[in-house]
Formats: sequence, C-alpha cells, structure tokens
Amino acid sequence: MTTLAQALPRRRTLSLGWIRRYVLTVYAALALVYLFLPIAIVVLFSFNNPAGRFNYTWQGFTFKNWTHPFNYPGLQGALTVSIKIAVLSSLVATILGTLIALSLVRYSFRGRGLTNLLIFMPMTTPEVVMGASLLALFVGRGVVLGFLTIFIAHVMFNISYVVVTVKARLVGFDRHLEEAAMDLGANEWTTFQKVTLPLIAPGIMAAALLAFALSVDDFVITYFNAGSTTTFPLFVWGAARVALPPQINVIGTAIFVVAVGGMLANIIFQNTRARRAGLAKD
Amino acid sequence: MTDLDLTVTRRQLLRRAAAGGTILTLPGLLAACGGSSSSKKATGSSGGGKKQLAKTLYFSNWPLYIDINEKTKTHPSLAQFTKQTGVKVNYVEDINDNDSYFGKIEGPLSQGQSIHKDIIVMTDESGLPQRMIQLGWLEKLDKSAIPNIKNLIPAQQHPSWDSNRDYSLPWQSGMTGIGYNPAKVGGEIDSIDQLFDDPKLKGKVTLLTEFGDAIGLTMLANGDDPAHVTKAGFDKAVKRIKAAVDSGQIRQFTGNDYAPLLAKGDVWACMAWSGDLVQLQADHPGLKWVQPKTGAMIWTDNMLIPKGGNVYTASTYMNFYYTPKIAAEVEDYVNYICPVAGADKVLRKTDPKVANNHLIFPTKKMLDNTHEIDPNAVNNKKYKQQFQALIGA
Amino acid sequence: MAFLHRHKWVTPYLLLLPGMAWLAIFFLVPMVYLGKTSLEQGLFPTFTFQWAWGNFHDAISLYQTQFVRSFEYAGLATVIALVGSYPLAYWIAFRGGRWKNLFLLLVIAPFFVTYLIRTLAWETILADDGVVANTMRHLHLLGTNGRLLATSFAVVAGITYNFLPFMVLPLYVSLEQIDGRLIEAANDLYASRWKAFLRVTLPLSLPGVFAGTLLTFIPAAGDFINAQLLGTPKQYMIGNVIQSQFLNVRDYPTAAALSFVLMGLILAAILAYARILGTEKLTG
Repeated sequence: MTTLAQALPRRRTLSLGWIRRYVLTVYAALALVYLFLPIAIVVLFSFNNPAGRFNYTWQGFTFKNWTHPFNYPGLQGALTVSIKIAVLSSLVATILGTLIALSLVRYSFRGRGLTNLLIFMPMTTPEVVMGASLLALFVGRGVVLGFLTIFIAHVMFNISYVVVTVKARLVGFDRHLEEAAMDLGANEWTTFQKVTLPLIAPGIMAAALLAFALSVDDFVITYFNAGSTTTFPLFVWGAARVALPPQINVIGTAIFVVAVGGMLANIIFQNTRARRAGLAKD
Repeated sequence: MTDLDLTVTRRQLLRRAAAGGTILTLPGLLAACGGSSSSKKATGSSGGGKKQLAKTLYFSNWPLYIDINEKTKTHPSLAQFTKQTGVKVNYVEDINDNDSYFGKIEGPLSQGQSIHKDIIVMTDESGLPQRMIQLGWLEKLDKSAIPNIKNLIPAQQHPSWDSNRDYSLPWQSGMTGIGYNPAKVGGEIDSIDQLFDDPKLKGKVTLLTEFGDAIGLTMLANGDDPAHVTKAGFDKAVKRIKAAVDSGQIRQFTGNDYAPLLAKGDVWACMAWSGDLVQLQADHPGLKWVQPKTGAMIWTDNMLIPKGGNVYTASTYMNFYYTPKIAAEVEDYVNYICPVAGADKVLRKTDPKVANNHLIFPTKKMLDNTHEIDPNAVNNKKYKQQFQALIGA
Repeated sequence: MAFLHRHKWVTPYLLLLPGMAWLAIFFLVPMVYLGKTSLEQGLFPTFTFQWAWGNFHDAISLYQTQFVRSFEYAGLATVIALVGSYPLAYWIAFRGGRWKNLFLLLVIAPFFVTYLIRTLAWETILADDGVVANTMRHLHLLGTNGRLLATSFAVVAGITYNFLPFMVLPLYVSLEQIDGRLIEAANDLYASRWKAFLRVTLPLSLPGVFAGTLLTFIPAAGDFINAQLLGTPKQYMIGNVIQSQFLNVRDYPTAAALSFVLMGLILAAILAYARILGTEKLTG
C-alpha cells in the first residue's frame, strides 16, 4: 500500500478518491453483469442442440440454429411485427408524452392536478382488465383488430411512462438558460429548438428507450387487442405449450446484437466526425 | 326444417339478449349507434343451403400443433388440402390458452358478431366448448360433407357435452397422468396418493392449474368419479389438495412450465401431459410418464365452427383431416394422441417409432383407464372460485 | 404564434391535447365501461347493472392478504432496485462519456428477449441443484433442504430484475443533468466527497428518484406473472387474483372492482409519497 500511495500523485481531494473511483466502476460492471446473467444463458442456449422440442437443458453445441433461425413459420413474421410496432409506438408515445410533460412542468393551469392523476392511472391498472376493456371498445366500434389496434394500445400505455421520465428531466431544468437565449434575441421557438430540446434530449432518449422496451415485451394487452396478428412475445408464449425451439434464443440474441452494434457504430461514427471536425479547426 | 327453425330462433334470441343486456354498456351503445357495420352475420349456417366452397378457410389453432416442413417453412398437409380443393388456408396460431382466447372472442360473439374464423380449436377440459354450445355461439357441422367421420376412434365418439358430435370434432387429444424422474425419486411411482403423501417428495411435486386435471386426478385417487362431480367429491378433493399445499408438499401449480423443472430435477414428480413427456424423453430418456393406477384424465382439443364461419368449407377441411394418411402426416409432427383410426397403420410403415409409442397411440387398455372431467363442474362458478382460491388466486 | 402570445393560457392545453386525447379515448372510455362493470352483478355472460357497491366491499375483505402482500413485494423490490440502480445510473451519467447511450441500451437490452425466456434462464441459474443454490448452502446462507425457486425470494428477485430498467433510466435522466461544477464547488468549500454527494447530488437527483420509484412500484404492485412462474400459492399477489377472476372464473364485476381498489390504493400511496418528498418543486 505504501508503494502505491507514493506512486500516486497527491490530489486535493482525499487520497482514497481513487479507490472510490474504481469502486464505482467495479460496481457498475457487476451491475451490468447481473443484468446480463440470464442473457448469457439465453445466448448459450441458442447454440444448444436438443433432440426434442424443448430447450431446457444443455444437450450439446451446434451452429445449426444460427444458420436456420427462421425454421418455424410465423416466427419471422411475429418478430417483424413486434419491431415495427415498437418503433412506431415508442416514437409517437415519446412525442405525445414529451408535450404533456412540458405543459405539466412549465405551466400552471386549471386541471393540472387532474391531468397528473390521469397520467398515473394507466400504470396502476392491471393489464388484463385494461386489455380486455380496450378490446370491448374496439369490438363495440367494429374496429378491425390487428396491427392498428396493437399500435393504439401500445401508445396508450407508453404515454404515462414517457411523461414521468421526461418530467424528471424537466423539473431540474435550469430556466435561466432559456431566459439568457431570449435576452439574446431568440424567439420562443428558436429557444426551444436550440436550447431546451438539446438539453432535455437525454431525458427524451431515455423515455423512448423505455417505451420501446415496454412495447417489444408486452404480452397481456397485446394478446387481447391483436386479433389474428402475432407479435414475438405472443408467438413465444403460444409456442411454449408444445415447444421452445432454440431459434427463439437466436432471434432474441440477434436483435440485441444488432441494436448494440448499431449504437456502437453510431457512436464511433460520431466520434470520428467530432475528431475530424476538431482537427479541421486546427 | 326443424334445424332451420331452431337456428333462427336462437339467433333472434341472442340478438335480443345482446341488445337488451349490452345496451347499457358503452360498447353496446356505440354498437347500437351503428358500429356493427363490419360484422358478418351468420352466413351459410342454415343446413342444406349453399354447397359452395369459400376461397379461403380461416383456421385458428394452437402453435406448433400441425405439421411443419422445416426446410420450406410450410405446412404440407394444408398445402395438400389447397391442391385438392382449391381452398387457400389462412392458418393462424393465435390460441395459446383456452380462457384467454375465450376472453378475446366472447365480446363479438356475445353481440352476434362473427369473429371471421371458420375453424377454432379449444379444449373440452376447459368447459368452454360446452359453454359455447349452450350460448349458441357455434355452428353445427355439415356431417354430409364429412363421410370420414366414421374414422373417429370409438373412445371419442360420444363425449358427454356433444354426444352426437354435432358441433365438434377432435383435433388431437392428450392424457394427464404422472410425470416423474425415477432416478431422483428412487423408484417407480404409479399413484397420485404418493404425490400427496410421500414425505420424500416434499417440495418436489407440482400440480396443474387446470381444473380438470388437478381436481379430476385427485378425485380419482379418492375413489370418486370426475365425470360426475358431486359437492362431496369436490370438497374432498379440495381438502386433500389444500392440506398438501399448506404442508409444503406441493411446490407449485403450473401450466406446462413444469416441464423445465422436471427436466432440470427441481421437480421429481408431477401431474403431467403425455405429449410433453414425449418431447422431454427425447433429451431425457430416463423420465417417465405413467397413468395413475386409479385412472388418468384425457382431454381433447376440438375443432369448432364459431358462429358466422363457413360451415361447408370448414366441414370439408375436417373431412380431409380425417383421412388416415393426412392425419398420420400431422401426427408424425405433433405427437399428441391422434383421434383418427387408421393413422397408426400408415405411420407403422413410414415412422414406426411414432406408431409404436404408447403415449401417442395408447392401447385400448390405456384408453379404458382414462376419464373426462364433468364440464358442468368446470363451468360451475362456485367450484371455480374455490379452486382458484386453492391455487392462491 | 401571435395568437398564442395574446392568449398565453392556451399553450399548455395545446401541448396537452394530442396525448390527453389519446388517453381519453383509449383509456378513459374503457375505464368508464369497466366502472359500470364493477357495479354489476350476475353470472357470465349476463351481468346486470345494480349499483352493486358491495362488490368493492367484498373485494377488499376477501383479498386483503393478497393486497398487503402485493404492496410488500412491490415495495421491497422498489427499494432494492433503487439502492442497486443508483450507483449504476450515477456511473453512466458521470462516467459514461460518449458511450452513455450505449449503456442505456444495454440496460434495456434484456427486454429484447421475451419475459418467458429470461425467466427460464433465471430458473436455470437458480435451480435447486445449480451452482448458486449449492454455493449458498455451502455458505450456510440456505438451509440444506432450502431452495431458491418457488419462494418469496424468487418472486421479489424476479420483480426487481424485470423492473430494473424502469429505475435506472429515470435516475440517469435526472443525474445526467447535474452540473459537475456544483460538486466541484462543494469540494472547493471543503466538503468531503460523501458530504458533497449527500448535500448536492442526492437532492438534485430526487426528481429521478421519485420518477424511478413510481415507475417501478406501480406496475410491480399489479404484477402477476412473477408470482405465477416463480412462486407458490402462498406468494400470489392481487394481480393473480384479478387475472383469475377475469379469465377463469369470468366474474367480471369482481375483477373490475378489484382493479379499482388497487388503483385507488396505489394513487393514495403516490399522494402520500409525493407529500413526504415535498411535491410541486420536485414533481411538476
């Protein structure tokens, strides 16, 4: 320990600072490991080679699930539907929810308390009654059940989550920055565009991710309002009665890899662009 | 002609009931305001009317319950149907639980609307096929289009809830018995009593959440007849199960999620479905499935024609399925119990392993030892409440 | 825009309109229908409207145990999630750098694999004869005949795991906004790192704490699937009751009444919670 203490430059903050720095990183790493522990099993079992239809115990290694991931008719279609709905519904829900959050935090108006209440209510309602009641509405109206109704349902339950998440960001937002922009001659719209929006962007991004996750994994509400359309969770739950092919693991892993890969590529691309811009300036 | 009259009267009654009962509910109000424009009222349901095949057959079934060609990703038997009759099949696997599916379709059906399906498949054990007949939500089969109905195995010809097979035809059946791991148990099991009473099995036993299976098997173990459930018999079964739950003998109540637990050894003995063990045995040949000596339960997934479905086309398909060669093709993949006589003979030539598997083609002796649950008991609200309270909800 | 300048009071309503309209049509209308159902009585499929307030009384008295249990499990899961997620969210916010969005994606990535598959994986990890259980027995953290699955532990662990992203993301959102210079200033004024955290960071992150706890607790209280797959009948929650009353028993009035009681209890809890934390400023 003495050698280390000598080796490290003395800093103004307490000398235990470096331990603290690494403790936090180690903890974060462990937390991510915890989050991914079951995923590791899922990935592992995507290489499993069961003789039967279930994928419960390890039976041997194979690549054939990866070379034929769509062996089950309906699996690919279900996946496509899930992704499309998740992207669309999280997009719409994020926009609608952000607008609501802005109005709730920035303005005091009559009906604010009631609005807050209405935002919380969908989250408190058990999925089975919410799904069935919505179905009753669609049926009573003669709406054809399918992609559209699933989309409507997903936006509906996602709005609340977006509002609460974006509010957390807006509440701590420093209004002085906006005031400064306006003092410098920007009108409200420009201020919003160039000051507010970029600063609350992380909040909006997080809300969109949350909405996406909720949509892609939803089962009960989707089940009632899907008509004959099948989403990925519906397919899995349905198939599970007679089989759990490793292809399901393959699909799950693949989506995850594609998403992470895409994000990584985006970051690297932006880093390169920033670096080039920085170099260009010099 | 009598059939026609009855059908019309029932439909009128239904519409009146729907109008009266649901007018007070918002959807009812909305529907009355003209929302039923898209509803297809019962077409082609009057027996003897049109004998024209529709262009498409809308068939809803449970997932992975029909043959699949993994290379071409099609369903060969359905392709053959299309080739033979020119009818395309819109096959959707959107049924994964009887009660949930019923919850989905009861809205439109209760208002006299069609659910745009020609064939749906539901389990008799859920009591729902009986319920749907009572509610008038099913069309009668066009038996004149189903000469192959003679191939229906005798054990399935007269179920208590549809004794003439007027509304239903079996798709596949399954038996509920005891699945167990002889290595962990340290021997053989052949009685439900052992599940309840053997202290060695404490915390290693699961029962099914299915009313028919849990209550049925327990009643059989108590010496009562599940095909005619009496209050005394029911109470006795509930008491026995409750004692086992309270003592911790029963680990959980499961749907088919007992399968991974059994495979991994977390569960040593459980109420299990025969078809599951067929699949598990492929990877775990040590696991066994037996009929309890007091009797096993048998359940059947039935093809039904909901109101508004095209009876003639649906019946034509059913006739097609009841050809032994076709049934054998499906059976070779699905591996539950085939209701079509003669399919085993076909399979003996093409896939003898399946043909000789008693869990897929049970012997007469085995079939004689199976029992069905009294659908009236399943549909009895008080019994249902008590059972749900028993399993914790 | 000029119109808006003159009638500034319109702006909040305009912002609210699209989202609230969506909720009004697709949530409120079904809820009114559900409310009517809760006051009906009868046997499926004929229920008649009877102002049956007794349904609510029955709901509370019959299922008290499950209500209490649900709040206990949800509360426990929320606290564990909060304590467990805070450092992770902190790390992503302050140390994540350019990779912040990637880490956020990683946090929700488990959702790409359906719930059933995730839970099956946990069942493999926590199997009676698995590494984890055996190690715990070895360390005497678990009795020789003890097990991890089909216990309250498993149910709470399942709830916590599956709602973790709901806690991490709002916490991150709030933490990321904190100006690092405020913490530096605190340090300059001789506050220790810990004191700086307690006096500066933590209070500034309270909106995120509030949001995260709500987004975790509320849906967790109504959850049913974790108890169903990972628990015994002794662990079943009110969500399981509502599920079975609705789908199996088909007693729609009871299911509806139970849903409203649950909703009311949760909303009351939120109100109390907000008051304790010191509302308006924090919650908007």
